[in-house]
Amino acid sequence: MSGEVSRRGPALQYGPRADADAVHHPFSPRQLARIDEAMTLSSRESGLTFSVYVGSLDEPHRAAAESLFEILSERTNDPVLVAVSPGQRVLHIVTGTESAARLPNRACALAALGMRASFSGGDLVGGIVTGLRMLADSAGAGR
Amino acid sequence: MSIVETVLVFVGIPALIIAVLALLVYGRSQFKGPNRYRPGKPWNFPPVWYLPHPAPGSAAETDRLALESTSGASAPRAAQQKAVGGASGEW
Repeated sequence: MSGEVSRRGPALQYGPRADADAVHHPFSPRQLARIDEAMTLSSRESGLTFSVYVGSLDEPHRAAAESLFEILSERTNDPVLVAVSPGQRVLHIVTGTESAARLPNRACALAALGMRASFSGGDLVGGIVTGLRMLADSAGAGR
Repeated sequence: MSIVETVLVFVGIPALIIAVLALLVYGRSQFKGPNRYRPGKPWNFPPVWYLPHPAPGSAAETDRLALESTSGASAPRAAQQKAVGGASGEW
């Protein structure tokens, strides 16, 4: 399964790193800090593990996002995957057994709606941050 | 004025002003920082995938150190889960 990760290109990283491959990196250090803060705070508040993927998704998109989620679920507890593909203009939020109990599909759809509003205005980082906050608020405080 | 002076004054100076203005308008975004995303434009960056930083001292923190020392290639610890729910959207 680790081969699956490398075939897709991205390796799971703990928190964005501003210095890593700065030329080909889509986000500025300040944007990375915003994503990192939102992701870390949401995860600590809610007890779920929010993971952010930004990149292209193979067709069909939903199945690609779910296979990424399966890789993620091997490494972390209670994962929630937020997958955004700016080129294809799609976003997917994927929950697992434990996280779906805290985050019903309706809450995920609401977060996706908020993200879409920012994305369609061109605010990629703002949309990711908004989505993470909305998801964490819906999930409530962790155990 | 000679021809060279005339050309310098009436072509050279306006061209210089236009170049300075163009640099002021477009220069910053061209040379500094990543491009801003605009809907409909292609996304030519390699995919990135992030996990939150684990809380210091937690069990996940020790896992992180173990995972990073093996360059993230191995150490599966939780059972693989199937995706259950979620949402999707397009813009």
